[in-house]
Amino acid sequence: MSVRLDGNVIILEGSCRVEDAEPLLGWLQADRGRMVDLAGAEHLHAAVLQVLMALRPSMRGMAGDAFLRDWIAPALMGKTPPESGRQGG
Amino acid sequence: MDDLLQHFIVEAHELIQQATDDLLVLERNPQATAPMDSAFRAVHTLKGSVGLFDFAPMGIALHAAEDLLGALRERRAGIDSQIIDSLLACIAQAERWVAVIEQTGQLPSDAAEEGYRLARALRSQLDEDPAQAADPVPQADLGWIEELMAQGRDPAALRAQDRPLVAIRYTPRADCFFAGDDPMALLRSVPDLVAVRLSARDPWPPAAEIDPFSCNLRIEALSGAELDRVKAVFRFVPDQVTLHEIAATAQEQGSDMALANGATGIAPGAAGRPGARMLRVDASRIDRLADLVGEMVIAKNALAHLAGQFDEGLDRKHASQGLLASQAAIERLVAELHGAVMDVRMMPMRDIFRRFPKAVRDLAGQLDRAIDFSIDGEEVEADKAVVEGLFEPLLHILRNAVGHGAEPERFRLEAGKPAKTRIVLRASRDGDRVKVEVEDDGRGIDPAAIREAARKRGIASADDLDRMSDSEVIDLIFAPGFSTASEVTDLSGRGVGMDAVRSAVERLGGQAGVRSRPGHGTTIRLSLPLTIVMTKVMAVRLGRELYGIPLDGIIETAFVPASRVLPVRDAEAFVWRDRTLPLVRLVDLLGIRPPVESPQRLKVVVMAAGDDLVGVVVDGFAERMDVLMRPMTGILAGMPGVMGTTLLGDGSVLMILNIPELIG
Repeated sequence: MSVRLDGNVIILEGSCRVEDAEPLLGWLQADRGRMVDLAGAEHLHAAVLQVLMALRPSMRGMAGDAFLRDWIAPALMGKTPPESGRQGG
Repeated sequence: MDDLLQHFIVEAHELIQQATDDLLVLERNPQATAPMDSAFRAVHTLKGSVGLFDFAPMGIALHAAEDLLGALRERRAGIDSQIIDSLLACIAQAERWVAVIEQTGQLPSDAAEEGYRLARALRSQLDEDPAQAADPVPQADLGWIEELMAQGRDPAALRAQDRPLVAIRYTPRADCFFAGDDPMALLRSVPDLVAVRLSARDPWPPAAEIDPFSCNLRIEALSGAELDRVKAVFRFVPDQVTLHEIAATAQEQGSDMALANGATGIAPGAAGRPGARMLRVDASRIDRLADLVGEMVIAKNALAHLAGQFDEGLDRKHASQGLLASQAAIERLVAELHGAVMDVRMMPMRDIFRRFPKAVRDLAGQLDRAIDFSIDGEEVEADKAVVEGLFEPLLHILRNAVGHGAEPERFRLEAGKPAKTRIVLRASRDGDRVKVEVEDDGRGIDPAAIREAARKRGIASADDLDRMSDSEVIDLIFAPGFSTASEVTDLSGRGVGMDAVRSAVERLGGQAGVRSRPGHGTTIRLSLPLTIVMTKVMAVRLGRELYGIPLDGIIETAFVPASRVLPVRDAEAFVWRDRTLPLVRLVDLLGIRPPVESPQRLKVVVMAAGDDLVGVVVDGFAERMDVLMRPMTGILAGMPGVMGTTLLGDGSVLMILNIPELIG
């Protein structure tokens, strides 16, 4: 499993695949305050990405992967709407 | 031309017509939902079909039209005639392109430029939506590309560099995850990314209703790599991705790999429209034909049985009885089959009428007239040849109604009429004929002006004109040569090309007439046969040749002693039932050398030529027959005096003559 819940933080690790979208969505639906950690992620499947885009959880951790860091993370972090304002680390 | 392209052309005509109809309805009633959905569907389907071929500029323009329609559909507001105009302009261009494709199999060379121009015009309408008004940059051909460039890591550098960029818009299908696609993996493998924008295709639903396995992403990106390398990445999803090559500062050429999601193939059942020589036929009519053919087979078997009985020594009386019965059965079936085939050829006026609202709207726009155009009786059916043959004449008549019948608004208001000129196109069934009328409540035709014009142009002598009633004078608008010059039309009249209208209608076996009251309007009336296919003709002999004369013009046949022929100057006449009729010789009309000796008794066909009667001398009368007349085609189409031809039982060709036209 490349997605796991640690306390109040959802950690995405390695290559996240399509089947990771469902638990991710479930955890975020259950508690919209949960934070997502991308530091260990190497790839996000589009299904996972769109869950993040739709629910816009707070993010933390700079992805090590260049593609995620340069192109994907800015899309997820830059536009966090003010109402879920706590910016992750 | 391959089958797929042919289907495309037929379907494209349908869809273009549909979209045009819907847009015109929308213009009148911007809140109507059905035409909006229908127009959107038509444009969407057309765009999808275009994507199957290498017609990128057409795809770009239609894509823009689809986006605009989509936005209008969401907002349900802001539909004004300017937007309708730009959409109609796009559809009209698509129609012209389809016509060119029909001819040459490809788009004209200026299509790329035109496609971008249309797309730009349509997108500029879109950008007026404040929600989307992201700082418009003049050279933006496709707004999103420009926005994307602005978003890139170093927009200024991006714009300044002179290597071309490839813009990618990838809208994965909703079910793409199930096909094993990972759009992010594809994006990751795009070489030399310079900008990326991720967005939702449709607004995100509330958190509780999100379906994680239904892809709702739209991915836009710029790449500095060559088009082919980018294309290769998306080679398995060409239907979901649009690629544009952008030159350094402005997009000059575009290359669509294919267009958007859900590119449909050829919609089944969309077939048949004029031009493609296809006929759309009610299935029940085909069923009836099949039934009749079945009965025909039975009748044939009965005949075979009879033939068998002959061998077994059937006596004469029984044999002839059997033959007669069989012949009667076959005769009935042939008649029914003929009727059924005629039915198949019947098509509703709708197929041509529906093209007129747009034409009238365009004309009204050009001439700055306010027109209230309506159509009645579009379900009336007639033979395909009649219906299609009416298009040009009717267009002409409508053009005149708008151009010459309709007065400028202020004159109408002064005259106490509604501001908009009412023009009605009406079809109705009248026995075995179809009546088609174009009625307007415009300024009408002034007989005095027609008299004046006719005198000037030498259409009729001053004496004749003085004797003519007003309605006869007005009928002169159909006279050849009456109205080739513009001053006539300026005077008052309709006219331009009305002689062409009359001759086109007469070629179809119809008549054209006009009624008009100055100040109250004009009605042009056409009366046409339901079918022009079956013609009763009388065959006449001339030397050893046979010619056909349509029976409906013939009054009777007569034998006239040569001594009773009266020379009248250089012509001839004879007395028939106390009337003196002109006598013409068919040999003279056809320019054939006359026989050496003239017979003592002339064989004369008395027939109508226009309003008068005339006697036509022939060498002999032959039988009357029902024939399938084929109009003259190709280089013979313009041959005067011949209505058409038919094949006789012995395989020879019978020419069917138009005697009034021969007399001239």
